[in-house]
Amino acid sequence: MKKLVFKIGIYAILLLIALEIWVRVFHLAKDTPNRYLDENKVEKWMPNQNGYAVTGNRRQNFSAYHINASGYNSYREFNPSREGFELALVGDSFIEGFHQNYYQSIGKKIENKIPGIEVYEYGYAGYDMADQLHLIHQYENQFKLIDLVVLGLKYNNDLTRAVYEVEGYRLALESPLNKLLKKSKLLVYGKSIGIFSPIQDFIFTTRNLMVNPGPPIKSSTLDTSSEQTKAEELLKKNIENLESLMRLYGFDKDKFYFLIDETVTPTPFIQYLEENKIQFITIGAELKSSTKNTTLIYDHHWNNNGREIVAQKITNQIKNKR
Amino acid sequence: MLFNSLAFAIFLPVVFLLYWYVFKKSVKVQNGLVLVASYFFYGLWDWRFLFLILASTLVDYYVGIQIGKNADKPRLKKQWLWLSIVFNLSLLGFFKYYNFFTDSFIDLFEILGYTIKSTWTLQIILPVGISFYTFQTMSYSLDIYYKRIKPTKDFLSFATFVAFFPQLVAGPIERASNLLGQITQKRIVHIPQITSGLKLILWGLFKKMVIADSLAPIVDDIFANHMHYPASTLVLGVTLFSFQVYGDFSGYSDIAIGTAKLFGIELMSNFKFPNFSRNVAEYWQRWHVSLSTWFRHYVYIPLGGSRVSKIKSIRNICIIFLVSGFWHGANWTFIFWGGFHALAFIPVFLMGRNTVYKNSVVAQNSLLPSLTEVFQVLLTFGIVTFSRIFFRSASITDAFNFIRRIVSDFSYETYLHPMGYRMLDYYILLVIFVLYEYLIRKNERSPFAFKNKYVRFFVYSLVVLSMLLFYDDGVDRSFIYFQF
Repeated sequence: MKKLVFKIGIYAILLLIALEIWVRVFHLAKDTPNRYLDENKVEKWMPNQNGYAVTGNRRQNFSAYHINASGYNSYREFNPSREGFELALVGDSFIEGFHQNYYQSIGKKIENKIPGIEVYEYGYAGYDMADQLHLIHQYENQFKLIDLVVLGLKYNNDLTRAVYEVEGYRLALESPLNKLLKKSKLLVYGKSIGIFSPIQDFIFTTRNLMVNPGPPIKSSTLDTSSEQTKAEELLKKNIENLESLMRLYGFDKDKFYFLIDETVTPTPFIQYLEENKIQFITIGAELKSSTKNTTLIYDHHWNNNGREIVAQKITNQIKNKR
Repeated sequence: MLFNSLAFAIFLPVVFLLYWYVFKKSVKVQNGLVLVASYFFYGLWDWRFLFLILASTLVDYYVGIQIGKNADKPRLKKQWLWLSIVFNLSLLGFFKYYNFFTDSFIDLFEILGYTIKSTWTLQIILPVGISFYTFQTMSYSLDIYYKRIKPTKDFLSFATFVAFFPQLVAGPIERASNLLGQITQKRIVHIPQITSGLKLILWGLFKKMVIADSLAPIVDDIFANHMHYPASTLVLGVTLFSFQVYGDFSGYSDIAIGTAKLFGIELMSNFKFPNFSRNVAEYWQRWHVSLSTWFRHYVYIPLGGSRVSKIKSIRNICIIFLVSGFWHGANWTFIFWGGFHALAFIPVFLMGRNTVYKNSVVAQNSLLPSLTEVFQVLLTFGIVTFSRIFFRSASITDAFNFIRRIVSDFSYETYLHPMGYRMLDYYILLVIFVLYEYLIRKNERSPFAFKNKYVRFFVYSLVVLSMLLFYDDGVDRSFIYFQF
C-alpha cells in the first residue's frame, strides 16, 4: 500500500509536469510583463518587453503586447514635439489594451483616421484619476508638448482618492514569491480560468467558520439611508476628490477631455462637468446601440468593434476641435 | 457532497487512508467507518433526510428477517413483503409524487368542468437519491422472498449496504446478492483493483466535467428558447443533450464504481456504451443497466415476462417502460418518454430481435463496423435522441411544441454559443469522444487499456488537460440524475 501511495505521488508530479508542457506548447497562459515604480513614483511596466496576453480556457483571445521605452503598451515611442500634433490617451486597462494586438489599438485606429497625428497611449491596468493626473504632473515637460489629452474616467471607480499614493498591492505582485509562481505557466493558466476559486472559497469558508462558528450575526441597526442619499454622498465625495486632484496636479481645461460612458455616469456629475467647462467625450450610447458585440467573450474589455467605436468618437472630437 | 467537488477530493483520500491504515484489522470496524462516512457524505446535503434512509434500513432489515423466519408460510411471508413495498413506495409516493398526483387530480377535474382551488399542494423537497436507495432496499426484501438470498442479521453490514456512499445518491442500484456479500466479507488490499478504480474515477470525471458540463449551457439555452430557434438548432440541442445526459450519468456511475473499487468493492456496471447499440432492445441492455435489470427482475418477470402470450408480453413491456418513465420523475414528460420507448421496443420484440445483440458489441470481430451496423447504430441513436425531447422538456406542451417546430418548419441557421464561444471546439470534442469510446467499446470497466505505459500516460495527461480546456467556473456542477 505504501508503494501505491508513493506511486500515486510520483504520477501526480509527472502529470503536473506534463500539463506544464501542454500549457506551454499551446501557449494557453498569458505572459505577464514586469512592473516597477520609476524615479517619479509613477507605476508602469518595465520598458522594452514583449509577450502575449491570453484570455479564455482555449485562448479565445490571444494578442501581442509590446512595452515601449516609456513603459507603456504601444507600437510607437513617445517623442512629442512642438511641430507635430500629438494626442495622449491616459487610462486604465481599456487604454492599456493587453486584450488586443498592440498594433491595432485605439491609438493606432485614430492615427489611421487622422493623417499626421501621433497617439500616445499611457494605459496601465488599475490607473484611476489620481494615477492619471499624477502621471501627467510628473511628466509635465512631455505633456506640455502634447496637444490634446483624453483621460479615461469611470465614475464609480476612478474618483475614490483625493491624493495620489503608490498602490502597494499592485507592486506586491512583483514580490520574489509571486515572480517565482509566475514562472509556472500551469499556475498562471489555472488561476486565469478560475480553477483555484473553489480552493480559495473553501479556505475562506473554513477560516470564517473557525473564527465565527455560530450562525451569522445580524446587524441590529437598520441602514436608514436611502439609495438616493448614498448617491448624493458619493457625488459629493467624487467631486471633492476630483477638485482636490485638479488642484494638486493641475488640469488644463483647454486640452484635457474626459472619456466617459454617460449611460452609467450620473446626470448631476455630467452637469457638474458642463457647469465647470470641463470637456468630455461620451461613448456609452454608441457602444450600446451597436448591433455587433462591443466587448470580448471572456473579458469585459472592448473588442475590435468596441475599440473602433471609441476611436471614431475621439476622432470626431479632434476633427471638430481642429 | 458532489463527486466533482473539492470537498469530495478531501473526503475520499481521508476515508481511504483511514479505511486501509487505521481500521484495516476488522471488517466490522471498516464497515462502521464506511457507514459513518456515508452518513456524513449524505448529511452534508441535508442531514434531516438521513432519518429516511435509517427508516428504510430498519424496515427492510426487520422485514428481511421476518420473511426468512416465515419462509414456509407463504401468506405471512407475502404480508411482510408487502410491508416493505408499501413502506418504500409510500416514502417515494409522498416525497416524489404527492404534488404530481394532487395537481393531476385537479387538472382532471378542470377538464371535466369543475374548478378546484388547490390547498393540498405542499412545498416538498425531494430527498436526493430516494429513488435509488428505496429500490435497493426493496430488492433486498424481494430477493429474500424469492429465496435468492438469505436475510442478514448483521445490522451494521446491512446499513452499510443501503448507505454505501459511492452509489447512495444515484446508483448503480445494487442487489444484496452482489454488494451485501462483499460488505460482510473481509477485504484485502488489491493494488490492480485500486488502480483500476482510480482510472475509472478519472474517466468518469472527464465525462462529467468535459462532456456534460460543457454542453449544459448550450442545451439549457436551446431548450429554454426553443420557440425562437430554427429546427436545425433544435435538432442540435436534443443531440447534444443526448451526449450531455450520457456524460453526466455514466460519468457519475464510473466515479461510483471506481470509488467502490478503492474500498475493495465491485459494483455492477451501469453503462455499456449505449450509443453504439444496434436496436432499442440492445440500448436497454446498455443504458442504466442496474435500473433496467431491476425492472426486469422484479416487475417484468413476475408479470410473466415473455413466457406468456404475445398480447400479455406486449402489455408487460408497456408496463415496465411506463413505470420506468414514471420512476424518473413526477411529470407527464417522463411517462411519454417511457411510452415512446415501449413503442420503439415492441417492433423489435415482435421481430424476435430483442436478445440477438445480448452478448456482442458493434464490430465485435473487426476494426470497423459494417455499413448495416453503422445504419443500425445511427437509427437507434436517432430514436433514443428523439425520445429525449420528452425527457428534457419542462412540460409536455413544450415537448410537443419542440417536435412541431422540427417537423413542420425545417430550416437551417448556424447556431452561436449563448456566451459567444466557438462551437467548433464542442463538435471536435464530441467527435474525439465518440471515436475514443468506439476504441474502448469492448470493456466499459477499462477505459485506459493501453499496453504501453507511455501511451497511457500521454492519454491521462490529455484527459486532464481537456478538463482544464473546458472548465467553467460558473457552471452548475450537480448531476442530472440527482433530481430523480
